[in-house]
Amino acid sequence: MRRYLRLLGVQLRASLLLALQYRAEFLLDGFVEVFWMVPAIIPLAVVFRTRDAVGPWSFGEALMVVGWFTFLQGVLEGVINPSLATVVEHIRKGTLDFVLLKPADAQFLVSTARFQPWQCVNVFTAVGIFAWGFHELGRWPRPGDVGVATVAMLAAVVVLYSLWILTVSAAFYVVRIDNLSQLFNAIFDAARWPVSVFPRAVRVVFTFVIPLAVMTTFPAQALLGILAPAHLLGALAGAALAFAVARVVWKASIARYTSAGG
Amino acid sequence: MQPVIRVRGLSKHYQVHERPPGMAAALRSIFHRTYRTVAAVDGIEFTIEPGERVGFLGPNGAGKTTTLKLLAGLLHPTGGDVSVDGHEPRRREDAFLKKIMLVLGQKQQLLWDLPPSETFELNRAIYDVPRAQFEETMRELTELLELGDLVRRPARTLSLGERMKCELCAALVHRPAVLFLDEPTIGLDVSMQATVRGFVQRYNERYGATLILTSHYMEDVQRLCPRVIVIDKGRLVYDGALEELVTRIRPDKRIVLRFSQPVDEADVAPFGTVVRDGEPPAGPAWTVSLDVHKDAVNRVVTGLLSKLPVSDLTVESPPLEEVMSELFARGKA
Repeated sequence: MRRYLRLLGVQLRASLLLALQYRAEFLLDGFVEVFWMVPAIIPLAVVFRTRDAVGPWSFGEALMVVGWFTFLQGVLEGVINPSLATVVEHIRKGTLDFVLLKPADAQFLVSTARFQPWQCVNVFTAVGIFAWGFHELGRWPRPGDVGVATVAMLAAVVVLYSLWILTVSAAFYVVRIDNLSQLFNAIFDAARWPVSVFPRAVRVVFTFVIPLAVMTTFPAQALLGILAPAHLLGALAGAALAFAVARVVWKASIARYTSAGG
Repeated sequence: MQPVIRVRGLSKHYQVHERPPGMAAALRSIFHRTYRTVAAVDGIEFTIEPGERVGFLGPNGAGKTTTLKLLAGLLHPTGGDVSVDGHEPRRREDAFLKKIMLVLGQKQQLLWDLPPSETFELNRAIYDVPRAQFEETMRELTELLELGDLVRRPARTLSLGERMKCELCAALVHRPAVLFLDEPTIGLDVSMQATVRGFVQRYNERYGATLILTSHYMEDVQRLCPRVIVIDKGRLVYDGALEELVTRIRPDKRIVLRFSQPVDEADVAPFGTVVRDGEPPAGPAWTVSLDVHKDAVNRVVTGLLSKLPVSDLTVESPPLEEVMSELFARGKA
């Protein structure tokens, strides 16, 4: 365990060095991130200009979802997608062999291969959006709710990560994965909306098949203090299940790679 | 001594999807696919003692790289047993992975945009090498490879040769006892090839590491590997000393003659087979190469010296490239 923490440290260091290597890009990234926050809010602002609530969600409440969406986007862009790009490149170039020959868990190595430090900005943006939302609601969040929301968010990150591992596993079979990751991003984009704004059938898909509800709506509800305990437990169980499934599929994909590649 | 590598009846078969050309066949293949089994490696057996340097020879697609990957545990064998220092490679146990290294000349593990020293540091963490040992290894490798301050420049700014030296260094951070080198000198200029060869030999001598090398440059194999294993179409066709292989395939020696005045080919021909390299016979020549059976060399040289105006004479083994192409051509016949 301590060894893996140290490994994580070394990998983070390499990513940070890389980010600093290109100073102009580094600054530009940060600048761009601040601007990304604007399109995250515009759709919502447009909808709420004409009405006070969408489904049971008021504007202030919906901002909680946007806040978590922004946060998750930071996780996705900062931690998950860069590594995804690295694995796909490994598979394409055949350099995954080097990863598989290392005496450490291959899934861990590829998952931590690359970070985009600038995406941390999203975390601050998210906090800003929460503050704005609570301002709209005219109250402060309760500390207990923040705790529950954090747990719900952890479940969300695990789910997102697991979906990502499944996407990467697909790369072993199809090689051209860029379309797949675009699809992944397009679906993820739907997570900026509270899940209850979608029609019933879509909602079922987004809860159980592609668990957007788990990813943003649950943490938002938790922050508002309206998340049913059963939902929280469901989210945690779902996250554990997703993680286990992703692990199994990843192992099978690696086995296939080593038994078939060449 | 116990062999470090033991391979018995090793085979690797692939299922290859096959379809005739054309649109109709392409559509048909969506529903009904036909597969053909290709044996990349087909029943190979050998053992290698600790500290040996062995060269894998064979034409493209012979199964050399597949065999290396089977030994490294990157591929699972279809049949047979492999044991490397008591481990079954396909299980890829940490203890096994810490003993081996694989360098692929056409692929690189160096972090592209960062200095190689960062890759070394990363590998140190992955292989769990104690700091003091790491520093010592780095000092030795830097000296053996003459790396200097290369390691502090971003990998993408290095030349191919400099990068290969750093690749070797990165792969040796954990001081592996078994080295798998797949085309380590590919694309390098002659002097860089010699540097890499020299380094590999010194590493082998200093640490007693076992090494298996594949290369397209016969010079690599000739200089580095007292023992060669020849693989053709997935089968082992020769295992033994390189010298012996050469005499077996080409029992001839090549006599290169220089004359003090032009000599007609017809005057030389009675002594042996004139080497023409596919060129038509020209008129009188200043130099002629002659292939002669090794047992007849003494007699022929004496005859040549007494009958012809020889100013210079050398006796060589035929180039390994020619020996190999002859060997593989025989395999096809």
